[in-house]
Amino acid sequence: MEALFFNVDTGFLEGIVRGYRAGILTTGQYANLTQCETLDDVKTQLSSTDYGNFLAEEPSPISPSTIADKALKVLVDQFNFIKSNSVYPLNKFLEYMTYGYMIDNVILLITGTLHKRETKELLRRCHPLGWFDTMPALTVPTTTEELYESVLVETALADYFRDCISAKELDTLNIEIIRNTLYKAYLEDFASFCESIGGPTAEVMGRILAFEADRRTINITINSIGTAVSKEQRARLFPTIGRLFPAGNNALAKADDMDQVRAACDPIQEYRIFFEASGNGVPELLHDGESEDDDGFKMVAQIDDKFFTEEVNLNKQAFLQQFQYGVFYAYFKLKEQEIRNVTWIAECIAQEARDRIQDYIPIF
Amino acid sequence: MGTPLDEYPTLFRSEPMSLVQLFVPAEVAHDTVSELGELGNVQFKDLNPDVNPFQRSFIGEIRRVDEMARRVRFFSSQIEKEKDAIPVRPLYDSASLITVGPRAAQTMDELDVTLAEHETKLSQMNESYEVLSGRLRELVEARHVLRETAVFFERAEVNHSEIRTSFDDSSAPLLQHDDRENQFSASNIQFDLEFVTGVIERSRLPTFERVLWRVLRGNLYMNHTDIAEPFIDPATGASTYKNVFIIFAHGDALLAKIRKVAESMGGTLYPIDPNADKRVELLREVNVRIEDLDMVLYNTGSSRRTELVKIGESLMSWEDVVRKEKAIFETLNLFNYDVRRKTLIAEGWCPTRDITMIQLALRHATEESGTTVPPILHELRTTKTPPTFQRTNRFTEGFQTIMDSYGIATYEEVNPGLFAVITFPFIFAVMFGDIGHGTIIFLAALFMILQERKLARADLGEIFGMFFYGRYIILLMGIFSVYTGFIYNDIFSKTLHLFTSGWTFPEGNGTVVGTFNGHVYPFGLDPGWHGADNALIFTNSYKMKMSIVLGVIHMTFALCLQVPNHLRFKRPVDIYTNFIPQMLFLHSIFGYLVVCILYKWTVDWSQSPTSPPSLLTMLINMFLSPGTVDEGEQLYRGQPFVQVVLLLIAAVCVPWMLCVKPYLQWKEMRRVHDQGYVGIGQEANGRHGDLEGEEEGNGRAIVEEMDDEAHEEHDFGEVIIHQVIHTIEFCLGCISHTASYLRLWALSLAHAQLSEVLWDMTIANVLGVPGVIGIIMVLIVGALWFVFTVVILCIMEGLSAFLHALRLHWVEANSKHYEAGGYQFVPLDFAKLNEKD
Repeated sequence: MEALFFNVDTGFLEGIVRGYRAGILTTGQYANLTQCETLDDVKTQLSSTDYGNFLAEEPSPISPSTIADKALKVLVDQFNFIKSNSVYPLNKFLEYMTYGYMIDNVILLITGTLHKRETKELLRRCHPLGWFDTMPALTVPTTTEELYESVLVETALADYFRDCISAKELDTLNIEIIRNTLYKAYLEDFASFCESIGGPTAEVMGRILAFEADRRTINITINSIGTAVSKEQRARLFPTIGRLFPAGNNALAKADDMDQVRAACDPIQEYRIFFEASGNGVPELLHDGESEDDDGFKMVAQIDDKFFTEEVNLNKQAFLQQFQYGVFYAYFKLKEQEIRNVTWIAECIAQEARDRIQDYIPIF
Repeated sequence: MGTPLDEYPTLFRSEPMSLVQLFVPAEVAHDTVSELGELGNVQFKDLNPDVNPFQRSFIGEIRRVDEMARRVRFFSSQIEKEKDAIPVRPLYDSASLITVGPRAAQTMDELDVTLAEHETKLSQMNESYEVLSGRLRELVEARHVLRETAVFFERAEVNHSEIRTSFDDSSAPLLQHDDRENQFSASNIQFDLEFVTGVIERSRLPTFERVLWRVLRGNLYMNHTDIAEPFIDPATGASTYKNVFIIFAHGDALLAKIRKVAESMGGTLYPIDPNADKRVELLREVNVRIEDLDMVLYNTGSSRRTELVKIGESLMSWEDVVRKEKAIFETLNLFNYDVRRKTLIAEGWCPTRDITMIQLALRHATEESGTTVPPILHELRTTKTPPTFQRTNRFTEGFQTIMDSYGIATYEEVNPGLFAVITFPFIFAVMFGDIGHGTIIFLAALFMILQERKLARADLGEIFGMFFYGRYIILLMGIFSVYTGFIYNDIFSKTLHLFTSGWTFPEGNGTVVGTFNGHVYPFGLDPGWHGADNALIFTNSYKMKMSIVLGVIHMTFALCLQVPNHLRFKRPVDIYTNFIPQMLFLHSIFGYLVVCILYKWTVDWSQSPTSPPSLLTMLINMFLSPGTVDEGEQLYRGQPFVQVVLLLIAAVCVPWMLCVKPYLQWKEMRRVHDQGYVGIGQEANGRHGDLEGEEEGNGRAIVEEMDDEAHEEHDFGEVIIHQVIHTIEFCLGCISHTASYLRLWALSLAHAQLSEVLWDMTIANVLGVPGVIGIIMVLIVGALWFVFTVVILCIMEGLSAFLHALRLHWVEANSKHYEAGGYQFVPLDFAKLNEKD
């Protein structure tokens, strides 16, 4: 049925996105990029890809962060183009995508304020897709209740935030809990929204979001082992969707060490390989901005990496089906990964760390 | 290869091309390419397709030029942003920078340094300008805050008691309150309330207010006023509107929160004194400082302007140099660079005719650069298909573009662009025929051509630029329209009485019948038809038949263009298997129709015993009931027999087209096969030419081809399918295409009717009005009529006729002969670099 009317509203945008997808860097292009000697080489190389002349107006000694910023700008422009051309339910779907970035921004701002960082600097680091009007005011409140009542109450995150008000003080631990509670609520809400759209969208997005939920569950477990977070508290942070839910979630909630985590994930074929330790500690890399808790665990970074690879894989699969919104989600996630890859390569070149340049995650 | 050179370049076929190899010593490489770029005659091939762009030999130079280009772009964007236009000296007026010869490197270095210097200077000025205007903005904001709040305070003073009561904190101890009250009455200007004042962007104001209200739980009193004039960002030129706000609240904690919120929302706070005297003083101080800053800003601005004017003088020549240098190095990157031997090897296509010119250019480049080793040019033999190059001039360019946008001709194929020069305007004119309208577009085109030099330089915009590009097409369309206008005897829907009409109308009212008076109108339509009741019947029949006649002639001509192609490409078989049956098929049906039309015109039917037969019925009956023609419908004696013969010829042609060519090819394959040449047979045939060339010698180098155009194995199935499609397409096409030419009639009819309606609705109504009023009305309505004539009849109708003429060329004519399987010759040409941007 969805095939009948899908193209009326979304055919054009799907075409656009599939066209964008064709512009994602290929393995050959990555191979060329890794051969670059200087960042100027990277610039030349990128100018022959879909990025085009996005660095043409930058004065010559460019830095990896400039490349990352400009590439992100390309992504944001594409997203805004798609979003402004979309109608319900796609625009709602795309809005849901921005909530994730909003959560990140909120957490970034309150953590930064807690550590007395410069407000302007913090605002500059916020993800442009997660920007909302009242966001700058987040630096003012000092308790969660204030946070909710003064700022978040009028945003889309208000519903997700209700569960967090119980936490009184804003300290590092509480912020972490807030983040995970928000994410849990967000993922559940997003999943139910996709479910309400139904059809292949529900199918494809269900897969992606289930993985996302499981990844968070596992991450929370690993990060909370041996901390002040009680097991009940931990269990409350687990999203109630995903392939590990409910049995795996229960087991993870009780896990005390890595072995138990592994055992809990064992029933799922795809997750089993995450824990197959490869002996030599692969250096932690491509740390997403969100995971700032660097406590120990060499394995965590390694698992993180495998998570990213699996995410890329799932997002690639989203393109195999038509008449669904998963392609929009998948494309922007892939593009994000690509920007991380390019930035990684650029950083490696800038810091003369050529031996680690291959540690990006290839997409196509 | 091996085609003899015609003495003069022709549009009939594309230019013969040669693959040349250049051995260029590294030290003259730059100058050579520059010289060849000026000449614009060589299309270089990429000799290192496997090499990454950043691993090529001249990437360093390209990067440097890119950097220079960025600076030049920065300058032009700065100049554009400047409010008062800065004169930029045009390229033809400025002294050109010499970037060839022994001093080239130095010139480039100097240019690089100059550009860098200008950039630093300009950005420093921009920076200080920005800092200063930032400071000025703050001061202006402060002044606004002072002024606006002063208004507020004054008003507050009047309503003092009212405000006080409304803001009294109910929880404050009464005694203390009284104390303060006394204090106030003493000073009478002081306020008890603490407040925060500042400026915030207007768009953020609602959010700001909302957040504040929630953060302070409503414990505040806020007032704000608009600042009327916008603040202009000196860097981007964007203007923002701002508001002054003043917020009253109690308690340090709340005030701190207000400040924090205001700052995080991008507002700027300006603390002011509650004391009115101090405020006045502050205002005076601020005003003085604003004046000072204004002075400084003006000076900075004017020195920046001087700098920009200086840049503007040579900007265009820099831009030109940078663009050329980039093209040169990009071309050099295509070459094979042998570092050990310090030689670059280039390969490229060039018109065979121009090789001498290229050699001259090479010599010139060597002399210029002051070295003794000249570049060496070889002509290579190759089996690759050369690019198609039609040498056009200003006149033919437009017509050629029309055909090129259908498809680029196969190398050395007959070029329909040549014939389009006449057929295109003619077919257009058949639909547009009107002396008046033709004259208008002719004059418009003539104007564009006379002003050519001036207009070519100016930026005309997309639409007018398009008309300008086609000015010669329009010119010819105008001339031909005047001609067909004479044929139709139509001028703005009126007629011309040039000669004596063949019809005399008796005096009288009501319907009168014209009688033939023996005169024959020598050229065009007899004006006697104008206004006659049966005029439309007559012109319709006339124009319809004329369209068919013209269409069949046009298609026959297009079909004939196959023959030179078959001869040139050495496939005489195609003449017998395609051309002749197609010709017979077309003419046994539609050629016959044309003959009948012409014959019917020659017969004086008023003297004939039979009534004129309908040709349409005749054609239909020729198929439906072959061999029988009704007695009353007969056009000439022996008609049934002739028609049967023609029908049989047409019927034979179909299997002829369908089968003969595949059969011959099959036989050829069998023959080769029987001789034992399996597979390799074709290879041997292909090599044969090469061997011959080797024997000839002639000092030409022979290149071993890396066969990227491997000979395809003849697939017999493909041949059959191709032939079937071709046959069906042609046979059905003959009918539909002939019918398609009826658009000539339809459009010319529509055009004539439209112009008649326009005349009747406007001028015809006011022509009879007597006196001054009549003259004024004629003037006004005449102007209206002229505007409509130009807009609707010339431009709109003209475009529609143009499109139909285009279609008749592309679909009806080109499908008869045009293969269009070539690729365009794109030489390195500095003159065209500008157009690309």
